[in-house]
Amino acid sequence: MNRPSGPIVSEGEDISREAQRWERETRGPALEGRTERRERFETQALKWPIKPLYTPADLDAAGFDYAADVGYPGEYPYTRSTRPNGHRTDFWTMTQVTGFGKGEDWSKRARYMLDQGLSGLILEYDLATTNGYDSDDPIVEGEVGRAGMALDSLEDLENAFDLPFDKLKYLMSVCNAPQPVNLAMIIAALERKGIDPADFVLHIVNGILIEYTCVGRYIYPPEHGLRIATDCIEYIIRNHPNWAPISIISAQLQPAKANPVQEIAFSLAIACAHIDAVLERGLDIDTVAPYINHFVVNVDMDFFEGVCKLRAFRKCWARLMKERYGATRPEALRIRMMTSPTTIALTLQQPLNNIARLGIMATACALGGAGEAMTTPLYDEAHALPAENAIRVGAAIQHIVAHETGVAETIDPLAGSYYVETLTKQMEDAAFTELDKIFAMGGAVKAIDTGYFQRALGREQYERNKDLEEGRRKWVGVNHLAKADEKREIEIFRLDDAMEEEQVQKVRALRARRDQAAVDSALEKVRQAARDGANMVPPCLEAVKTYATHGEICNAMRDVFGVHSADSQLMGI
Amino acid sequence: MAARSSGEPNDIARRLLDGEIAAGARAIRWLDDRDPRCATLLSAIYAHTGKAQIVGVTGPPGAGKSTLTDMLVSEWRGRGKRVAVIAVDPSSPFTGGAILGDRVRMARHSVDPGVFIRSLGTRGQAGGLSRSTHDAALVFDAMGYDIVVVETVGVGQDEIDVVNLAHTTIIVAVPGLGDEIQAVKAGIMEAGDIFVVNKADRDGYDATHRQMELILHLRASALPPDAPAVPLLRAVAAKGEGAAEIVDAIATHRVQLGEAGEFARQNSRRAREQVLALVRDGLLSRMIGMAADTVFEAVDTRQIDPHAAAARLLDTLAVRKVAA
Amino acid sequence: MGTSYQRPLRVLLAKLGMDTHTVGVTIIGHALREAGMEVIFTGLKQTPEMVCSAAIQEDVDVVGISTLSAGHTRSLPKLARLLREAGAEDKLLVAGGVIPEEDKPVLEAAGVDRIFTMGSDTRDIVAYLNAWWKEQQSEEAA
Repeated sequence: MNRPSGPIVSEGEDISREAQRWERETRGPALEGRTERRERFETQALKWPIKPLYTPADLDAAGFDYAADVGYPGEYPYTRSTRPNGHRTDFWTMTQVTGFGKGEDWSKRARYMLDQGLSGLILEYDLATTNGYDSDDPIVEGEVGRAGMALDSLEDLENAFDLPFDKLKYLMSVCNAPQPVNLAMIIAALERKGIDPADFVLHIVNGILIEYTCVGRYIYPPEHGLRIATDCIEYIIRNHPNWAPISIISAQLQPAKANPVQEIAFSLAIACAHIDAVLERGLDIDTVAPYINHFVVNVDMDFFEGVCKLRAFRKCWARLMKERYGATRPEALRIRMMTSPTTIALTLQQPLNNIARLGIMATACALGGAGEAMTTPLYDEAHALPAENAIRVGAAIQHIVAHETGVAETIDPLAGSYYVETLTKQMEDAAFTELDKIFAMGGAVKAIDTGYFQRALGREQYERNKDLEEGRRKWVGVNHLAKADEKREIEIFRLDDAMEEEQVQKVRALRARRDQAAVDSALEKVRQAARDGANMVPPCLEAVKTYATHGEICNAMRDVFGVHSADSQLMGI
Repeated sequence: MAARSSGEPNDIARRLLDGEIAAGARAIRWLDDRDPRCATLLSAIYAHTGKAQIVGVTGPPGAGKSTLTDMLVSEWRGRGKRVAVIAVDPSSPFTGGAILGDRVRMARHSVDPGVFIRSLGTRGQAGGLSRSTHDAALVFDAMGYDIVVVETVGVGQDEIDVVNLAHTTIIVAVPGLGDEIQAVKAGIMEAGDIFVVNKADRDGYDATHRQMELILHLRASALPPDAPAVPLLRAVAAKGEGAAEIVDAIATHRVQLGEAGEFARQNSRRAREQVLALVRDGLLSRMIGMAADTVFEAVDTRQIDPHAAAARLLDTLAVRKVAA
Repeated sequence: MGTSYQRPLRVLLAKLGMDTHTVGVTIIGHALREAGMEVIFTGLKQTPEMVCSAAIQEDVDVVGISTLSAGHTRSLPKLARLLREAGAEDKLLVAGGVIPEEDKPVLEAAGVDRIFTMGSDTRDIVAYLNAWWKEQQSEEAA
């Protein structure tokens, strides 16, 4: 095609002029006498304006450069993928959340799942355990064994670990505030069972900073929470280098209404707080970063916000490690992600609609680059009883995306889209601006202390709810195409009073028959280590072996660290 | 029949003098709402006031005032004192609503019968306190609480009404918030009785402490040499550190005030100011009648100036009094 | 207008038990403030005793409980009983969160005045409270 002669202009300027012409001559007239569907087109969470059309001129305006901004899979800055061959060799690991219950119940369910061919399990605990209390503490009445396993002592875990460890390759433990106690119990239980810790991967979530920010299961003041988290990370790096000492669950910020820029900035700032703390212990960035680079990121229904968020996350991590820390090893520069459709997009009303939502979000995950693993929630997530069908459908959704859509046949197929690259770059830039702000105020711990994170989330929560109530956001089944007289049943996991009572008696019986003097001595050593600034894992290990209880060891640390009471911040006040 | 704010004032007064919490709470509600029953109530309890030490706690947001107050309450309770806390937070100037969240940090005292925590919104009043704060303190005084803590936000120069209300004002500072020292300099450093640097285990504590020492030194140099030193204390409220020293300083201040006759003098000044404020309010509401609208219109149309308008309204009042 | 001064409605918001999901209670707190009410938060991990004591001290008109635990079948009736025993049954007791239909009659019989299931529009909650408040005030005037 011959180019029109005339002054030499860049292709971008050429297109820009053409786009303006199109606007004037074609789109403009088509709008005559009509109004658009929305007064303002904007993305769902960030509320950034969406133009009718994106062209190469937009990439120019954003300063886009293919080599610097996008690059190649498995190479810095990893925007297209951290994996050199994408998902052409292996698909992402397809997972689902395990169930819960008392020690014995969990292992029964775990054994069943291992028999079905799963090789990874997730250990979740009840609110008594995650808040650092024993089952017989009056403050936790009604909570024992409900949200997860009740873990009062090494004895409970010894029972739970009645498992075929030859089939189990990966165990994740979700226990944030009392992490050193929990880690110690797992190590001790493995020892008791004669299991070689090098034979599988233990992944502790160790997510205390997210707890302070939006979840609320914290015990000690933030500086001490960070210190004991660092103890666990350092202990694992030095003693169990094949284990994973943290998982930064950005997917907990999102239900608290963090927008994608806040998700990236807050979770990366949190990662830096951990990295900085471990670097202070004498390790270097290329050693440390590969241990901290575990993230769980979800996507919401805004398709492109989801895809671009995943791409931006990869790029931002890589840039941060390189620019802030001077990391050089690919293992340090590559983020590891587990991706997931968010549960908060699912409705109680017309639950079958959620299957469509999950399919769409799982596709967005795959197109954004699913990461190491994907988890699909159940389509009737609002109902706590997982129906068999829901489990099967959840697994099928991932297989359908993987095998039937073709989206994983090539790597990062949406790259080059004018909209996708513009939005990705805008997210990256905005995330770094926010990160600079957080670093300027002293980092994530300072942001938590002053309530900066919590207030930002509180504002988003209120504003987004208003959007929904005032109809600016349409949610099918809720405020659009809603059935006026729809009767939706919420089923919840019913309290089993007998089960709680049993656990209470069990822990009391344990206290009665153990060597109290050994327990007292071990607890004093825990307190001393807390005072001295020593690594908390070894004294916790010694204490759990005397059958000191979970609550007792947590209390020993309460005696030294004090307790954190920032509920007002958590409520955005 | 709704028992919404039911109660007969003399009955409520009798019950609160007995120490009944629900009655005290109802009394404060009437005072806060400017319910007509509060006049009878106040006259029934006033004779029983004048004993409690009112302790103001102020400082910038983030200083940890509520956590500090929570710590002091524990210390006082350990010494057998009964404590009331009035936590004041700003009401929205647009909607009149308020989020009152200070008691969250004092939750562990919520079932202690010797502790009474009450949250108030400023309800349009400037200066950091509500109109009802002083009267609420009187209710607690009459109920027999030894200490009444008034906790408020004190940014800049404006929110210092608490200094006039309290016998003993504690200024809470915190390391690392640079600008806050500037705000603290602006007037409140002159008026505080006890200074506390909270979160003393933070970076920047030494610098903050030195700065405040310097300012207090300058202040002391303007006073007679035998004037008691203004305590500058440290605390880590999250860990309960510093409570004993602060409570001791508050008790010492109480003794100093007593010895100098200051305690009674302050009560007297406060009462007088309250009477004057009530007279001012009363005058205003009497004047806002039909006469006022005409006068305001005359100002709007520039027939008379504001000073003349005020004189005219005052004359109206005088005329009415004579007529009565 | 009868009185020259509008008395704002005072509402206590609390979460009973160990569950710390705050999004719902935060949104409602802000909505009530925007509607001109005074909102007193008691904090998280509250027991019925703590909530009752706070409700009395603050002389609130409404006690609002957010619950995402199954413990509500024990804790809410206990709170209602404590309020009654303290002579505070005239305070409106409302609850919101994850509360199955089948639990509602039991809770209502135990003294919970109104239940707002998760996802209730804050404007409905504000309208309900304002209507109740207006009714109370006109009864008083009578």
